[in-house]
Amino acid sequence: MYVQIKNLHYQYQNSSKPTIKDFSLNIDQGETVTILGESGSGKSTILRIIAGLETPKSGSISIDGKIVVDERHFVTPENRGIGMVFQDYALFPHMTVAKNIIYGLRKMNRKQKADRLDEMLELVNLTDFKYRYPYELSGGQQQRVALARALAPSPSLLVFDEPFSNLDANLQVKIRDDIYTILKKTGVTSIFVTHDQADARVLADRIVFIENGMINRVGPPEEVLGCASLLMWANSN
Amino acid sequence: MNSIRTTKSRPNMWALLSFLFITIILLPNLVIAVNFFAPANENWQHIKEYLLVDIVTNTGIILVFTAIATTLIGTSLAWIVTVYKFPLRNFFRWGLILPLAVPPFIGAYTYHGIVNYTGVIQSTLRNSFSIQVDQKYFDIMSIQGSIFIFTLFLYPYIYVITKSFFEQQSASIVENARLLGANSFEVFFRVILPIARAAIIGGVTIVMLEVINDYGVVKYYGVQTFITSIFQTWFAMGDIDSAFKIAGTLMVVVIFILILETIVRGRKRYSYSTTKVRPIQSKLLVGTKAWLMFAYCFAIFSLGLLIPLLQLIYWAVMTYDKILTAEFFTLIKNSFTAAATAALLTVAIALVIANYTRISRSIFSKVISKITVLGYSIPGAIIAVGIITIFIALDDILYSFFTSFNSDPIYVLRTSLVMLISAYVIRFLAVGYNSIEAGFEKVGNTFTEASRMLGVSQVKTFFGVDIPLVKGAVISGFILVFVDILKELPLTMLLQPFNFSTLATKAFRYANDEMVSEAASASLLIILISGICIFIFHKVLDKGE
Ligand SMILES: Nc1ncnc2c1ncn2[C@@H]1O[C@H](COP(=O)(O)OP(=O)(O)OP(=O)(O)O)[C@@H](O)[C@H]1O
Ligand SMILES: [Mg+2]
Repeated sequence: MYVQIKNLHYQYQNSSKPTIKDFSLNIDQGETVTILGESGSGKSTILRIIAGLETPKSGSISIDGKIVVDERHFVTPENRGIGMVFQDYALFPHMTVAKNIIYGLRKMNRKQKADRLDEMLELVNLTDFKYRYPYELSGGQQQRVALARALAPSPSLLVFDEPFSNLDANLQVKIRDDIYTILKKTGVTSIFVTHDQADARVLADRIVFIENGMINRVGPPEEVLGCASLLMWANSN
Repeated sequence: MNSIRTTKSRPNMWALLSFLFITIILLPNLVIAVNFFAPANENWQHIKEYLLVDIVTNTGIILVFTAIATTLIGTSLAWIVTVYKFPLRNFFRWGLILPLAVPPFIGAYTYHGIVNYTGVIQSTLRNSFSIQVDQKYFDIMSIQGSIFIFTLFLYPYIYVITKSFFEQQSASIVENARLLGANSFEVFFRVILPIARAAIIGGVTIVMLEVINDYGVVKYYGVQTFITSIFQTWFAMGDIDSAFKIAGTLMVVVIFILILETIVRGRKRYSYSTTKVRPIQSKLLVGTKAWLMFAYCFAIFSLGLLIPLLQLIYWAVMTYDKILTAEFFTLIKNSFTAAATAALLTVAIALVIANYTRISRSIFSKVISKITVLGYSIPGAIIAVGIITIFIALDDILYSFFTSFNSDPIYVLRTSLVMLISAYVIRFLAVGYNSIEAGFEKVGNTFTEASRMLGVSQVKTFFGVDIPLVKGAVISGFILVFVDILKELPLTMLLQPFNFSTLATKAFRYANDEMVSEAASASLLIILISGICIFIFHKVLDKGE
């Protein structure tokens, strides 16, 4: 297994109930998994634990055979080799598109950086926007810069937290398809968090449906999305 | 890829640094606390018996009446400029903050100059109208005079904080008040004051701490308070032990005020934030009412800024050729270097602590944050007494160290600026911290997280992302601290090295030596710089939001 998550438990300091209960999941290399669940079900929290932004109460995670967190170990976020695309993109406002994208390429020399930058800009189709600042871009363009920035250091795992929720509806579909194409092109292992079933259906090789911090169902889209509780949830939304 | 494995309980550099800084801040206070409980000497018995009652009574009276007067003036002005439209209202909105640019001690000697026997009022009455007045009506050098001065120059603290509260809340308050159909006078006392309670108490606490901290006004007016007594026992009598006792007692008073504040304020806290909830529909006033409001605002503005400013300009014009010498420029240089160095250090330390308390969610970090903010409550004179004690001890160690190496033994620390600058940092850290913390809060943690997810360490993130993003808040913090230090008096008086004066201490010396007009140039410069900063903060930045 490429990514192995075992029995994660988590509770926020100022909360009385556990947020994540006994979460386990295995992901193959190159696979795209979608975590689907209602608002407040704990999707973002799981992502943040995987990324190393939160420390679980118990449980373990290993990526590519290396333990990143368990009872005795904790690899800091900057050393996990995980890329993350944030809901509000979190593009550094004081840097141009180019500066944003090469920001994570610390170990490369100047030439390598420039090459990687061009490669990434081409991949997300933004070659002409190199020297723009984030506030000079549309929402969809910002989204793609965020993706390019996360992909540039060649992460071993790429995670997305509600990547489309800040875009208007017709753009959502287009960007989603774009991202799907890009992901398949690069073959990167990825986890998406969403509360939108259509997103999950299009993007996922496998869907993990969670409720109240616990896994309710895991499987291919057609299987998971067909089940009764999901239908009820979908109707109530 | 080879991941670095680290154990969970890795010691955190940020926590360590923050802890170190906090310890340094607490140290002078600990020195006072420890010595407070040392056995008393005869002098202290004497002070306790004959002076302490006076000190406590004087301080108490000044505190209570200043609190009441500043509350009435600050709140009513804030209310008026928020809900009414009248001539020059837009100017008064920020203009009424400007008296804050005048350090109370400058106001004190200026007003004495205006109302005394040879001052402009009495000489006009005498020469033009042949009226001789009874001096007792013009006795400003008293407790009442001190209250008058504190009220005029400190009310803006309450004005600013309640104005921002009203601007956020007033839409609903006005509607409620109108529904009740009460007249404006009744509305103000029965609705406005209670609703704005938390904001007002926040402002009043600042005013009271400023009054307690003051040395210049009460010294010039000859009123015995805690601070003047500390100066007196320390300098005039050379009785350090009694100075400790007085400082300790004062600390108890400060703690009492802070506890009182938390109790009265309840759970609500108000910041200076200016996010507007619903725009206010201010009511257009016409005729007498409009001019009444104008007259009230103008009267306070004149008393708090215009009149003292005119008097100071008059004095400065009379004396500038005598004053504007090389010595004056040395004063400016001294003031600016001391203030800039200390402000820079303060902001750097505040950045480290604010970054730590933001990232860590531990109880320890909350305690650190609280202590940093509380630092501002401790009067400068107390910090000075603590710092001197520590530096003298350090100096003695260094001295014996020098001696043992047979080099020329000297007392390095107590004669250098290091002592003064450390004291400034300790006293004003809270000012810088508050500004930077607010900046971090506005920016949020996502950018930091994004940076770390791109493989960049916390330290590199701090310099590459965090600092650039809170640059504005850092600059604000720097300016606020810089201006506060420029105006600072008690700390500087106690700790400035021999042959070193600042604009503020020189102005005070002149005034104290009955050379008020010579004090004017330095005073004007201080007021000008502070005024410009207030203008930038409350006019320019307010519009930018
Ligand atoms: N910093 C925090 N402190 C305390 N509780 C938190 C914190 N962040 C989230 N929670 C709580 O943890 C639970 C899970 O939150 P999480 O953000 O993971 O949900 P989510 O599934 O991502 O929801 P959404 O779809 O709305 O983003 C919620 O009940 C939330 O209130
Ligand atoms: Mg979420």
